[in-house]
Amino acid sequence: MKTETLNKVAVAVVVAAVVVAAAALVMAVRLSDRPDETRVLRLIDERLAETQRGAAPLDEARVIALIEERLPGTKSAALSDRALDARIEKGIVTFVEKQQRAERERPNRLAQAARPVGKDDHIRGNPNAPVALIEYSDFECPFCKRFHATAKQVVNESNGQVKWIYRHFPIDELHSKARKEAAASECAAELGGNEAFWKFADRFYELTPSNNRTDTDTVLPQIAREIGLDAKQFAACLASGRHDRRIEADRQNAVNSGGNGTPWSIIVSKRGKQYPLSGAQPYAAVKQLVDLALREK
Amino acid sequence: MKRYLHCLRIASGLVFARASYVAAAALLALVALLLALWLPNLGLIVDVFGSTDVPFTAKLNLALSLLGGIATNFSALSAAYTVAIAVLFGVNAAMSVYSFNRKRAAASSPIAIGAGGLASGLLGIGCAACGSLIGGTAAAFVGGAGALAVLPLKGAEFGLLSVALLAVSLGFVSRNIAESAICPAASTGAPDRREPAVTNRST
Repeated sequence: MKTETLNKVAVAVVVAAVVVAAAALVMAVRLSDRPDETRVLRLIDERLAETQRGAAPLDEARVIALIEERLPGTKSAALSDRALDARIEKGIVTFVEKQQRAERERPNRLAQAARPVGKDDHIRGNPNAPVALIEYSDFECPFCKRFHATAKQVVNESNGQVKWIYRHFPIDELHSKARKEAAASECAAELGGNEAFWKFADRFYELTPSNNRTDTDTVLPQIAREIGLDAKQFAACLASGRHDRRIEADRQNAVNSGGNGTPWSIIVSKRGKQYPLSGAQPYAAVKQLVDLALREK
Repeated sequence: MKRYLHCLRIASGLVFARASYVAAAALLALVALLLALWLPNLGLIVDVFGSTDVPFTAKLNLALSLLGGIATNFSALSAAYTVAIAVLFGVNAAMSVYSFNRKRAAASSPIAIGAGGLASGLLGIGCAACGSLIGGTAAAFVGGAGALAVLPLKGAEFGLLSVALLAVSLGFVSRNIAESAICPAASTGAPDRREPAVTNRST
């Protein structure tokens, strides 16, 4: 084959790839199943266009048949023109409202497996807050360290509207020490309660350099001492491995809910609508999602 | 290296003397950068933008606020190569189109290398967050994040490779454009006597 032909083929392949990528994006948007008024109006326009083309005249009998199909139980034959119009309008409004309701209640497909907040969770802020920020985190991840400060700011400035739930998502392949540190935080919670857990987490992120460079033998007992835990009990708890199952359950839940990197967060509204957020996104982005969740009545 | 820069200077002088190519390169670089920053949260963006309940300003604010992720969700290295990939992609594409328009045939090697660079860049993008996103998804087929763990830079290699491939691709495209001007042909080292259409614009 000539070079020129090969070149043309290469160009065609690249163009085809771009077209396929664009088509995939369009398909993704369409597959998001978002019903809206535009779609309904388009359907109506299509029907009108069909009628104008003479393909299927929208005579009274057909309108009545459509109403009876859409609004079962309606005695169409007895309707006047005005009542007929009112029925059609009502049918359209009902349809649109139904679709909008379905849209509001539709849980996000990316984050539908997040475990509901329970009494065993570590909660910061008002436990009765309408919005929950569920964070799946790895103590050795530098981005989790960064996001810890962001989440703290969100809760502190929310006036009791946001609660922060901390769950474990140790990425063992990258951070071999993270699971032990997660266990240490659970031991802090066991010995000192919810407050001790958060003191441990705050202090840990303050003291440690991330990326598996923490000297756990020194730092973990030091933090336990600083936050007032019994050193012997803390060491015994850490050695027992009794929190391993919980940490693994958290990790599994993170993966099932769509997480494949840390930090992985899900913002949940009072009605259960979930907004998944990947990475250490800035305060403005988290705040925007919190505001969206708060808008839901 | 000297010849590379020389050809690049001539080619960019020829291509970017036209405002349309500058605009195309800038637009493509911007699109690439936006994609890189939004890709980890594309599902969220599609969901929010598809919702009829969310006001347009809130949708826009969310999309814009996620751009701040370059400061919080990227290391200095990954932010640097992400921007570099976007710029190189834009410049590469604009120069390839220019070359194609002039010769009515594009060279396959720079396009193939450029496409490889872009694909490699896609793998590198997610590596900003721990465990990677895009790279992690691909790596899941070969053992999850463990595949990244064996790499010394934990996946940033993909981004750096991407920059290198796009730079090589740019070199090829530049040479193709500039060889009709004053750059000597690679095989003989003899100067090509053909004059460039707008040589004076290159300086």
